[in-house]
Amino acid sequence: MTNDKRLHKIPGHTDVEWDDKHSDEFRGNVEETGIGFMGYDWDSKEEQFKVYLHYDQLYYWKYAEVSKLGKGFVDGEFWGTKCPKCGDKFFPPRVNCWNLDDNLEKTEWIQLKEEGIVHTFTVAGWSGKSSLKRLPFILAYVIVDGCKTAIANELRGIEPWEADFGMPVKVVWKPKKERQGTVTDWHFEPADGWKPGPMNEEKERIKELCQPVIEWVKTMK
Amino acid sequence: MSRKVCIAGGVATPFDYPMHITPEAMAANCIVETQHEIPDFTLKDLQFMVYSHFSVHFGKQLCPEWIVHDHLGLVGLPHVRIENGGNTGGSALFGAFMAVKSGLFDVVGVYGWETMDNVTQSQGSEFIALASDTRYEALAGGIYPIYYAAMAYKFMKDNDLTEEDFALAAMKNRNYAADNPGAQFYRSDYTNPKSPYYKKTLTVEDVMESRLISYPLKKLDCCLMSRGGAFALVTTEEWAKKHAPDTYVEIAGAGLSSCTIRAGDRIDFPGWNKLYGKGYPDMTEFGACRKSGEDAYDMAGIEYKKAAKEIDVAEIHDAFSSSETQIYKALHWCDKENIKEFVREKQTFLDGEVPTNVGGGLMGYGHPVGATGIMSALECSYHLNDTAPKKHLSSKTYVKDANTGLVNSHAGTGTSISNFILRRP
Ligand SMILES: [Zn+2]
Repeated sequence: MTNDKRLHKIPGHTDVEWDDKHSDEFRGNVEETGIGFMGYDWDSKEEQFKVYLHYDQLYYWKYAEVSKLGKGFVDGEFWGTKCPKCGDKFFPPRVNCWNLDDNLEKTEWIQLKEEGIVHTFTVAGWSGKSSLKRLPFILAYVIVDGCKTAIANELRGIEPWEADFGMPVKVVWKPKKERQGTVTDWHFEPADGWKPGPMNEEKERIKELCQPVIEWVKTMK
Repeated sequence: MSRKVCIAGGVATPFDYPMHITPEAMAANCIVETQHEIPDFTLKDLQFMVYSHFSVHFGKQLCPEWIVHDHLGLVGLPHVRIENGGNTGGSALFGAFMAVKSGLFDVVGVYGWETMDNVTQSQGSEFIALASDTRYEALAGGIYPIYYAAMAYKFMKDNDLTEEDFALAAMKNRNYAADNPGAQFYRSDYTNPKSPYYKKTLTVEDVMESRLISYPLKKLDCCLMSRGGAFALVTTEEWAKKHAPDTYVEIAGAGLSSCTIRAGDRIDFPGWNKLYGKGYPDMTEFGACRKSGEDAYDMAGIEYKKAAKEIDVAEIHDAFSSSETQIYKALHWCDKENIKEFVREKQTFLDGEVPTNVGGGLMGYGHPVGATGIMSALECSYHLNDTAPKKHLSSKTYVKDANTGLVNSHAGTGTSISNFILRRP
């Protein structure tokens, strides 16, 4: 219909065949149990009734035009995008330029250096259910390889109170067969040669705040 | 411009976690109580309903507004649901404002609610994290307080503030909530003998000693998860004057703006660079708050530099003590030069220049997302129509002679934000 090169390709209905499958490698064949009632409680004084509903759902996220990002993670490579018009570089990738003057210019894939600078960070002492056991951890927003954006991930390899604004970091990958094509395939660590600065009042304060968290995590099964 | 739009009245339920009342019963309670203040008002006056509800995950119920609408007996009346993260309430109010301003409807109901107590707090945090870009953030970072903490820490550094500066807002809002019987802090802590904060007036020390959530935020720097509902009646000035002469306030200004979903994407955004200079808002400030605030100020004829002087009372989105402090600056109440003095001189306390969150805010009253922005608008209006002494336990948390109020509702990492200027008629 049109040859506008900004349009994203959509594979035909039978074109995608998943010839390289890894869906069962991590937690086995995860079954969907669907929706079901699991029990109830009753308060006789206030006449209050409560039921327990359980619902389990497996999602199938299609990376589609950002598939190169997922495959890159599995292969131990960082792929971002770059606008051919204005040159802005994005990681995580944007498939169209964010600059309205560039009118949805389609970006191009570029391989990025696996290094960056900490723009800001925090030391987490509480998190969602699936992350409680890794507390306390540093979450850093890092500008990777001169991109116009910062990506968040865990900064490991130092004590939580040792991180600094502006510190250089490198990317460290999980062993290849543990990678799933997601941001949890890698984390940041200080760049080679970086040494933590001396302790100061603020670092001591963060260290003190972390101690009960460390003790609490030890009590978790 | 066109006709004036008013909030004729409205009521919020108590907010709590857990709380035992259905969404439709909360709506019914709110409407019944609204009728105590506006005796002429009946369900038959409604021409359009705007429902404000954030997450269907909490109820495991798609289109839950259909249940509420049906069970209120409003079948046949047009209805929509607006969902816009933490700014759902503000956005629903904005929707109702547009509906009346456009001339299409004269009497519009806005009902918002959330039932976050259907899941555990840590599961609830994970649900809310699904409003981040889940591909890149949810599993790496965990939860929203962590994203906010990363922004707060940089804001603290860039503006030479301390943890104690943030703690002032955390202390203030909870202590004001102790005077508000509907507030979650009042229900679950202040009047609960099992709580460590039973009958306790909080200090900055209490905030500093509470457990680490994500540096620089501690438990008391963070808002609460809640069940709760709120209803507001948005009408023409003509309807409000005739039926609610003692309670109505005018919506003199309204703004709604947006920012990136990921905070890491706003350090060099072309649109913001053009509007506010290169690098704004960075990961420290809320561009969508500044823009929607300026739009609301423009509509109400308020000069930005004089905003703090003109606004007599404000209810803003204190999901975190740090975000309340960031909002002061985004709304032009202070700037980089004087923010430290502004905070330390307690300019947002009852005796300060802009008494803020005297109803308790999100940290004190609670944050059942869909109800929150509406609760904020109502709490603000209670000072403009002088019902605060009746709504609160005492006159201690009543801002006398207030003529101009500001209401702020805020979503994501600052991804959608609305601001309203309310005026005493
Ligand atoms: Zn471009």
